[in-house]
This record gives sequence, structure tokens and C-alpha cells, in this order.
Amino acid sequence: MTEKKNRSMIQRRLIPTYIFLIIVAFLSVFPFYWMISAATNNTFDVANGKITIGGELMTNFNNLLANYDLWRAMGNSFLYAVVQTVLAILICSLAGFGFELYHDKWKDLLFSILLLAMMIPQVATMIPLFKMLSSMKLLNSVWGFILPSLSTPFLIMMFRQNSRNFPVDTMEAARIDGLNEFQIFYRMYMPMMKATYAAAGVITFMNAWNAYLWPKVIMTMPEAQTMPMLIANMSSGYTTDYGMLMVGVLFCSIPTMIVFFVLQKQFAEGITGAVK
Amino acid sequence: MKKKVLSVLLAGVMAFSLAACGGGGGSDSSSDGGDAATEEGSENKLTVFAWDPAFNIPALEAAAADYKENVNPDFELEIIEQAASQDVETAVTTAASAGDFSNLPDLVLFQDHYIQRYVADYPDAWTPLGDIDINWDDFAAEKLDYSTIDGEHYGVPVDNGTVVCAYRTDLLEEAGYTIDDLTGCTWDEFMEIGKAVHDKTGKALLCMNSDGNDLPYMMMQAEGVSQFKDGKPYITENETLVTIVEKLVQMAKDGTLLMPNSWSDYTDKAIQGDQVAGVMNGNWIIPTIEKVEANSGKWEITSMPTLEGGEGYASNGGSSLYITSNCKNVDLAKDFLAKTFGSSTTTYDNALKDGGVISTYAPAAETEVYQEGVEYFNDQPIYADIVEMGTHVQIVEQSDYHYSARNYVGTAIVNIINGADTMEALQEAEDQLNFEMGN
Amino acid sequence: MKQKRKMTLLGKQSAAGWAFLTPATILIAIMAFWPMIQAFIMSLQTGSSANMHWNEPIFNNYTRMFSDKVFMTSVGNTFLYLVIQVPIMLILAILLAQLLNNQHLRFKGFFRTCVFLPCATSLVSYALIFKSLFATDGLVNAILVNLGILQENYNFLGNSASAKAVIIIALIWRWTGYNMVFYLAGLQNIEYSVYEAAKIDGANGWKTFWRITVPLLKPTIIMTFIMSINGTLQLFDESVNLTNGGPANSTITMSHYIYNNSFGAGGVSNFGYATAMCFFVFILVAVLAFINMKVGDTRD
Repeated sequence: MTEKKNRSMIQRRLIPTYIFLIIVAFLSVFPFYWMISAATNNTFDVANGKITIGGELMTNFNNLLANYDLWRAMGNSFLYAVVQTVLAILICSLAGFGFELYHDKWKDLLFSILLLAMMIPQVATMIPLFKMLSSMKLLNSVWGFILPSLSTPFLIMMFRQNSRNFPVDTMEAARIDGLNEFQIFYRMYMPMMKATYAAAGVITFMNAWNAYLWPKVIMTMPEAQTMPMLIANMSSGYTTDYGMLMVGVLFCSIPTMIVFFVLQKQFAEGITGAVK
Repeated sequence: MKKKVLSVLLAGVMAFSLAACGGGGGSDSSSDGGDAATEEGSENKLTVFAWDPAFNIPALEAAAADYKENVNPDFELEIIEQAASQDVETAVTTAASAGDFSNLPDLVLFQDHYIQRYVADYPDAWTPLGDIDINWDDFAAEKLDYSTIDGEHYGVPVDNGTVVCAYRTDLLEEAGYTIDDLTGCTWDEFMEIGKAVHDKTGKALLCMNSDGNDLPYMMMQAEGVSQFKDGKPYITENETLVTIVEKLVQMAKDGTLLMPNSWSDYTDKAIQGDQVAGVMNGNWIIPTIEKVEANSGKWEITSMPTLEGGEGYASNGGSSLYITSNCKNVDLAKDFLAKTFGSSTTTYDNALKDGGVISTYAPAAETEVYQEGVEYFNDQPIYADIVEMGTHVQIVEQSDYHYSARNYVGTAIVNIINGADTMEALQEAEDQLNFEMGN
Repeated sequence: MKQKRKMTLLGKQSAAGWAFLTPATILIAIMAFWPMIQAFIMSLQTGSSANMHWNEPIFNNYTRMFSDKVFMTSVGNTFLYLVIQVPIMLILAILLAQLLNNQHLRFKGFFRTCVFLPCATSLVSYALIFKSLFATDGLVNAILVNLGILQENYNFLGNSASAKAVIIIALIWRWTGYNMVFYLAGLQNIEYSVYEAAKIDGANGWKTFWRITVPLLKPTIIMTFIMSINGTLQLFDESVNLTNGGPANSTITMSHYIYNNSFGAGGVSNFGYATAMCFFVFILVAVLAFINMKVGDTRD
């Protein structure tokens, strides 16, 4: 009885918190709702600020399919993002593992040098990178897209920091059991760092999926076009069909949302550096 | 168990990425990371960059169909769509900076105002037209002035940038005027009419996006004056420019000149949102005006006002086709250009019908398609009228810094409207421009 | 004998360690540092990008930027965004994380998802959404006029001060949830008993927040701070998509101006000058990050 009363009292005291959170949640979600409603209206209504759900979704969708190669762009974006994610977390986790668990003076120094790369503005390296990759004949290829972002200081740092919780004693034990260093990495480290892999994966996938400036430079053929490029194509030009554009925007947002929703829990754990 | 999962995963990635590598970016095309221009083997194919699926892409399709039907049945033109004209410029810039042109197509559609600078900066990116079989006298002189560099032709005109002044005759009537009152009038008279229209109907007679700056440039060209004189910025000492800026500021204050924030607000809200009684821009704006179906028959077009009165003519925007240095089959490209945009009224007729692209090629104006009255514009034969107006556009001094100058003047106008002193704001524009030009 | 064996074993391990970090190191060297060196060389040059030559005097591009009014405006704008947006966003994020960390709170997952949702929207959509919400005839105006706060519709994006405010609001909207996730994760590492103890000691919510939450979150705060500073100094998309730098360059950011100088409208492709400005940004980011780490470093 008192237990129950106590609980309802706590809930009552939380009312201001709920109100605040509801307002924040509403503000966060509203633009999103607007995007969905815009996808169901014709361009004229969207431009004039109609915010209720309309009945033009299929028309907009069919217009989109008729005018643009939606599936190709989705496929490309998916391919680039998946390959980049898998390879980047593999390479960066290897490095994070190496930097933290085998650290010595020289490796620590190297690490600080690599961190500097985090501060290099993207625009600065674009031209030299383009020159390099075009001489390697990697324009319009998945490699051209991913190579510059396969190894990022941020991911290495994340893996390195989360490796702090990795039990070093078990490594010794494993060595005595006859495991070599690489086996330790993929038999022990990778499974234990699952959450970090998930978090790193979510971040990398989102970055790769939403990348715009770099693909615009390196993907010159329509066959290699990504979703953000397709959307940008739709929104420039002399006039814009907003309803159709918003259907494209929806398609562009769905994969990142799914990835986040599915991996939400692991993402939060991974960022804290949870080790299982 | 876990090991197995890992190896399957790794194998999957390897297979995936190998497939991707072979497929040139996930598609089944054979272009593995490679050349955007057609290869030497394919004798009947050309590639081209263009950017507007509602405008210049249909025009190129019309030309390709024309060439295929009347010249070479095996011909194929692959149109590679870009998001915006700027992407074509970026493609040339990156290619030239990397010293690797293999990424360019055979032909590019390129904005007239930029081409001089691009030929000067990246001479290796282009192939001059040389002995191409085109009678240049058939084209508007002002248009050719852009694509001719040191007497050498580099491009073949596609569209026409001649400025039209389109007005809503019904709204003018409501305010007690007709379109004839606006033909050959002075800007002061225009401002009076604009005030009357705004008072009576609430709509603006003139419109310019505040981050654009076409209007001052067009108004000056109608006076035969440029923002440059002998290669130097000509702003504060340019009385015509100062007067024009003052008039624009006054009109903005009167409500005669509507200033939406961006280009998309200009087209989608001001024009298509039916907030204006007049539109003054390159004739490529016409399809945008026509989107408001309810106003069909209420519009008509005429020439521009001038400061002293008399009809003014100007040109804004437009593009031409250029052959890049990456083109492996220059003869085919030249032949294609000469027999389509260089001389074929069939091409132009279809370009007009499918994309609303109007020509600067004088003989094109004589065809039935051009002479026909347009219902939306009260059955006025606007296309022939536009080609005719195009022949009157005066050549003014051009500069590589054309758009920079426009930007700084535009910035000054916004600042003046917000309370800055006219001469100080223009002085700042001139200083910035000088700075950018390295003077 | 035994000693020697151990040495080689250690040596082997060290070698394995080097092997692990080699791929990442090589990639960063080739894909970040090498282009950066080339960019530095470029920043000492001038001329069209196909035909660049040494500048005269050699640091001309660097001295030039300080007399470039538009660049100085862009530096000012970027810092304004930095000083206003980053603190508001981070404090809001900590606050939300703190609220969502409450044991008794219901629908936690729902609220967390809502707040994070903006991060999943793509850039183009988010710019478009804000543009139309704050348009002169947009929803925000309609609400403010109906509430009687505004007399007539206001052109938010057409006025320099309000356009800046819209950019800041948009940035806060987009990134608060992202930072909140980091704090939430950090808070979950703090034992709940610490709070219980504080409560018994009579500390109120506000006190616990400042005395317990903030100090314990310090490493996370420093990390998010560095990330936000880095992100804001390189701010590009919002300036381009929301306001296009306008009205009259009053909202342009450094990266946007650099982009305009390298690939911008007007056929400008002054790579020498652009890369010189890039180095200016690089040095700023590095200095700020360094100060941040020094101020926040409690480990040694």
C-alpha cells in the first residue's frame, strides 16, 4: 500500500519532467512528421505550408520512379555504406586493439600524431585526394568512395578507449593456452567488444550513408550515384516538386533509422565502452 | 562457432567488395572506374553532361533524335544528368586540377558567363571548333560573344537568354494601365505603374531573389553599360549603375519589387505562388510562369524599360555545347553539332516543343512552331518575338569576374535596403571585387 | 636463457601490436597526411588550378586572408555559432540525459528515440524542413502571429540576426540528441547508489547535477566538446542549404567561403587561397582542441 502510494508520489513529482520531455519530444519529431506529411501532398500544398496528411503519396512515388533511378541509387548507397562500415570497423578495431593492449612509448606517440588527422578539414584534402584516386583509376568505384574514410582517428580512439576495460589477464591466459596474437583478436577481443562494434558500425554507417561532398566529387557517372546525390538532383533545377522530393528524402532516411533502431541498445552500450 | 561467423562475414565482405570493384560502382555497366567519354571503338556514340530534365535535356534528346533520323541511324547520345549547372563546372575544375580529363564526357553543356574564364584557366580542357560547318551569321551576335575566344569558336549555342518582361494584363487593367504603357517606358514611369498595381492588387510588378542579382545586370545591359570598364570594376564611378541601384532600392521600399530569399522561393513561392504581376528574367523563366494554370491567357510579354525611355534588350543566362579535350571522336562531335544545333530547324522545333528551349538561331524563328501563338500568353507568338528581341541585345564588356561583380552589387543592394549608405555600400562592393581580382 | 626467451616473446608481441595498427596508420598517412602536405604546398601557390606557380611573396595567401572582409565575416559568424550553439546544445543534452536516466521515469525508450530521431534525418531534408518552417509564410510565422507575439509575418531568413538564430536553432535540433546519447551512456556508468547517497545527504536535484553528474561525466563532456568544436568550425552544410550564406554574406561560415573559393559559383577556383584558409581552420581547431584537452585533463 505505502509502496504504491510512494510510487504514485514519485510519478507526481515527475510531472514537470514529463511535460518538459513531451515538449522536447514533440519538437524533435514534428519536423519529421512534416516530412512524412509533405511526402503525401502535392508540391503546391507543400510550398504553401499544408501540414496534414494528403492522398498523393502514390502519385509522388510513381513520379519519382518515373523520373529517377531510385533503386539504383539506393543500391549504390547501400553497397558503399555497408562495405565502408565493415572494413572501417575491422581496420580501426585492429588499430585500437594494437594501440591499447600493446602500447609502448612509440605507439603512444604515433597515436597522438594520428589524432591530428581528426582536425584536417575535408575541403583541404579533397583536391589532392581526387588527383590521387583518379590516377589510381578509382573514380566511380566503391574503393574511391571508401578509401579516404576507412581509417578514421575517431573510430580508432573509440576502440582504444573502450579497450581499456578489456581484461588483460585473460590475454596472458590465452597465450599460455597457445593462442597467437591474431587469434586473441578474433576469438576474444571481437566477441567481447560486440557493443563497441555496434556503436562504431552505427556511426560509420550513418556517416557513409549521408556523405555528400566527397561522392559529389568522385562519383561522376550516373551509374555510381548515391541517395543524397539523387535528392540533391531533385531539389535543384529551376523548380522543385516538393512532394516527390520528400518521398525521396523518406527513402533516404529509412535505412539510417532502421540501423539506429535495431542497434539502439548496443549503440548506447558501445559508447560507454561496455565489455561483455 | 564464433570463428565461423567471422570467416563467413569476412568472406562475404570480400566477395561483396570484389563484385563492387568489377561493377564500376555497383552497376552492371562496363565502365570500371573509368572513362566518361566514349571509347575510341564506338564510332557512333557521344556522351554529354547536362542538368535540367525539364529544359535542356529534352533539347539534347531532340537533337539526338534528329541526327539519328536524318544523318546517322546508328548514332547514340548518352546524356549524363548533373544536379545543377555548377556540377558541370566542378567536374571541369576537378579534372583540370588533377590533370586528368578522362572523367569528362565528349560534350558538355556549359553556362555562357563562365566559359571565358574556364577557357582562360583550363585551356587544355577544350577542343576549339575550328573548321566546323556552321554559318555563324545566323546566330545572335551577343550570344556568340561568350563562346568566341580570341576569334576562335568554342561552343555552339543551345538556348537563348534574351530577357522577357512578362506582365499580367488583367492586373494592369485593374490598375488602369495596359502592356503598351510598359513597352518602351522609362523606369520612373514603371515605378509609378508598379505602385498603382501594388495599391490596387497587392501584387509586385517586379521580383528578384535577394541572394541573386540578375536584375541590376539586366537593367544595365539594356542601357548598354557593363559592371566592368577596361577590365576593371566599374561600380562607384558608374552613374548608370548607381542610378539603377537607387531605383531598385526605392522599388523595394515601395513594395513594387518583391525580394524572396532564395532562387527556390523566387520560382516556387513568388511566381508559382501567384504573388507577382510581372516577371523580368531570361526567357527560360517562361515554363515556371506557365505552371500556374489558372492564369492562362492573362500574361503577355514585351521588352524592358530603360532609364531614358525606349525599348531595352538584355540577356541573362543561357548555355552552349562545348567539345572537351577528352573527346576521342571529334569529327563525329563536330558533325553532330553542325547538323543539329548548328543548322537544323527540326532540332530547334522539337527542343521548343519538348523543353521550351528557345533558339538564338535566326532561321529557327521562321518555322511554324515558332510563329504559332501561345495560348498561355494570350495567343501572342512569343517565341518568334523572343528570337527577334534577341537580335537587339547589345554586347557589353564581359569579365571572368562577372558573377563575383553581380554578387557584390547584390550584397550592396541588400545592405542599402537595410539602411546602409548607398555610396559606402557600393564602395565596399568595389573594394571586395578589386580584392578578389587581385587589383 | 629464460630471460632472453621472454624478451623475444615480448618482442613478438610488440611486433604483433605494430602489425595490428599498420593498416590504419598507412591509410591515414596516405589518405589524410599526404594530401595535407600537398595542400600546404598548394597554399603557397597561386594561379588557376591547372597551372599553379609559387606565390610572390610566398606567404601572400596567408597575409591576404586577414584583409579579406568576407573571410573575416565568416570567421566571426563561425565563432558566434560556436559560442552560442555549442554550450546551449551540450547543456541541453546533459539535462536531457539526466532526466532520462531517472529510474522512475516511464516511456524512457520512447523519449530517447524521439530525441535521437533528428540525427537520422538526412541533411537535405533537414535544411528543407527548416527553410519551410521559418519561411515568411511558414508555420512558425503563422503560430507567432496567431499568438499575437508578432504583428505581421517576419522574414526570418531574410534578416541577418534572425537568419543566424535559425541556423543555431537548426543545429541544436539536429545534434542535441546525438550528444545526449553519449551522456546517457556515461551516466549509466555511474552507480545509482551515488545519487541515493547524495539524496540522503540532502542535496537537491540541481546540486546533484552540478556536484555529481557533471564531474563524473567530465571525460564524456570533453570528448563531445572537442567533437562539437571541430564540427562547428567546419560547419558547411547548414550555411549552404539553409541560407546560402545570405542575406548579404551575413551567415556564411568559414568552410562555406572556402568551398566558394574552390568550387563555388562564379567559376572561382582559387585553390591556393582556399587551401591557405583551410590551414587557418586547421590551426584553430588544433589550438582549441589542445586547450580543451589541457584544461580537462585530470588523469596525470
